Amino acid sequence: MNSSLERSWKAHKLIERLGQKLNRQVVGSLVACVHCGMCTESCHYVLANPDDPTFAPAYKGDQLRKIFKRHYDWTGSVFPWWVKAATVDSEKDLEDLKDIAFGKCTNCRRCTFNCPMGVDLAAFNRVTRGLLTYVGVMPDGVSVVSKDQWEIGNQMGVLKEDYLDTLEWMQEELQSELDDPTMTIPIDKPDCEVIYTINPREAKYDPRSIADAAKIFNVVGEKWTMPSEGWDMTNFGLFSGDDELGGAVARRVYDKVQELRAKRLVMSECGHGYRSTRCEGPNWAKYDVPFTMESSVVTMLDYVTSGRLKVDKTRNSIPVTYHDSCNFARSCGMTEEPRELLRLVCTDFREMYPNRADNYCCTGGGGAMSMSEYTPRRLKSAKVKADQLAATGAKIVVTSCHNCVDGLNDLIRHYKLDMKVTQLVNLVATAMIMPEKVKPVAVPANGATVLSATNGDEAFALAKSEKPHLLTLDLAMPGKSASEVFEELRRDPALAGLKICIITGRPELRKTIYDRAVQPPEGYLDKPLTEQSLLTNVKKVLEVAHHQS
Amino acid sequence: MEKKINHTTVTLKKGDIADLEIDAFVFYARHDLALGSGFGTAIAGRGGPAIKKELEKLGTLGTCDSVVTAAGDMKAKHIVHAVGPRFQEQDTEAKLKKTIENSLKKAEEAGIKRLAFPAMGTGFYGVPLDTCARILVDTIKVYLMGSTQLEEVTLCLNDAREYKAFEAKFSTL
Repeated sequence: MNSSLERSWKAHKLIERLGQKLNRQVVGSLVACVHCGMCTESCHYVLANPDDPTFAPAYKGDQLRKIFKRHYDWTGSVFPWWVKAATVDSEKDLEDLKDIAFGKCTNCRRCTFNCPMGVDLAAFNRVTRGLLTYVGVMPDGVSVVSKDQWEIGNQMGVLKEDYLDTLEWMQEELQSELDDPTMTIPIDKPDCEVIYTINPREAKYDPRSIADAAKIFNVVGEKWTMPSEGWDMTNFGLFSGDDELGGAVARRVYDKVQELRAKRLVMSECGHGYRSTRCEGPNWAKYDVPFTMESSVVTMLDYVTSGRLKVDKTRNSIPVTYHDSCNFARSCGMTEEPRELLRLVCTDFREMYPNRADNYCCTGGGGAMSMSEYTPRRLKSAKVKADQLAATGAKIVVTSCHNCVDGLNDLIRHYKLDMKVTQLVNLVATAMIMPEKVKPVAVPANGATVLSATNGDEAFALAKSEKPHLLTLDLAMPGKSASEVFEELRRDPALAGLKICIITGRPELRKTIYDRAVQPPEGYLDKPLTEQSLLTNVKKVLEVAHHQS
Repeated sequence: MEKKINHTTVTLKKGDIADLEIDAFVFYARHDLALGSGFGTAIAGRGGPAIKKELEKLGTLGTCDSVVTAAGDMKAKHIVHAVGPRFQEQDTEAKLKKTIENSLKKAEEAGIKRLAFPAMGTGFYGVPLDTCARILVDTIKVYLMGSTQLEEVTLCLNDAREYKAFEAKFSTL
């Protein structure tokens, strides 16, 4: 860096901004490095470029450290030559800094975990990025994505009408695939248990993952919704270092959850989105979040382990391995939940080594996929990841991160690996056993009229208007819970004579019906149902009713 | 929230400025007038290729300048492309004020009666929200105190955060 007397305005503003960004975490990391070199071998860029010291994490850290020493640390004022204090003056200095902060680091934090001094290089590399974006020095891709997220509300510039069209399309696909009009993707439904937010990549390039999630929510009978706004749970502020963007994006998500009074914010599989919304967002947005936030991995795991979702793991028999997303695993500790779920829905899970917090980055992290100018450098650094993948012998690599999906797909193509990338939601949807639908054909054949309702509200309205003799109630109905509907039906004086038969594939939920302080149901049937068992039960309930009257 | 300055109604609302049914809205443009991302994505997507073609004929603009184009298939009829200060550049406040004044003038010259402004230069371009709120509200107020054919000026904010920052300043109108 030169030290001319004429400092550019941008350089001046960058130095000024650094003073505002120094907190204990950043300063601790800036002063603690002893240049021991332990971080060097941990970096995928170094492994791919062993003869180039500019890729070493300590060197990269020094670029900000020099400025800190020169302008904010007393040692830099007293003996700058000793502590290697330096400054930035020209536009070229800023461009050089950009090349390192954006182009030679994915903020994966592997070096952080390997530093005996606890230096969090990724934290202050992010600060460096933030200083540069503050003065408008950033890769084109970063500016495009950041501006989209600021102004359109999501980082891929998906317009509201296109997002809503995609949800409608997926709902139609789902209904058609399963021949079931009760499968819905509710939008802006208030007072739900779950509000589901996604990565805009899903709406733009991978809508099937939305349909798979919707299938799961419908089958377990979850009371859920997707928001029409604040639906992007990703946050480019994490990558660009712009805390203001980070706070604005997180606040949009939180505000919408509050507006719809949802109990739980469930985030689809996205590592940086999870970290941003669940861990960093409340600080960036200065927001006291009053609801629960969880990854869909945890939600799905709970569905399967609680028996709400039945799965057949033999449907996923191709060997799979798991790639730990840096943000999801290393930064948020989500390492065991995805593995537990994988073992429940796949027959042949093979661990990748190293794994969990030691795993290597997909090399597309930190926003690298949006910075095309660094693509050759990124793919060269992906060699270690490609070797890791190939060594597993798996044919499918699973990851809980959309960014990693793109990063892995790119390196798989580049290194010609015989593998595909998928996510847990896709595997769970494949393994899921669809509950058998009641086939009421036998009933009309025996002289009865059958009326159908597709959810609890419809059932209630139909019962009031048509006054049927018998109402069958499936505990896994969409929308309002069956036990709530049951109690409402029982408490309505106009429906005093109505006979109710409960149908369920989950006997453990009987309690939710029989614990209600109302008259118990007249009939109860376990799934799977046969036409004969349905008919016998219907007859029995109606005969008893007839004798009683 | 609504106020009246002389005969012009000034409204503060939350919404998508690129989806307003209005005579024109202001787009915080680039020097090269390329639509780019953000609201540019919405303009290109909803307006169709005609806007881009018209812009290509216009060349470039300096800071504080603005130009009016048609809005293609958008709900608005026109777009005022205004090049304001960005990324902490020197004299940001004075430049922002001039950009807003020029936008109002150019809109008026084009016969626009109903005009909408976003939170000019905030967000991506880094103008602080409170600075923008102060300058935008004050500049519009002074302009509307003079002779004008503008019937309606809308400040259309993207989210609750922006709206809140403008609310206090707007109430002083």
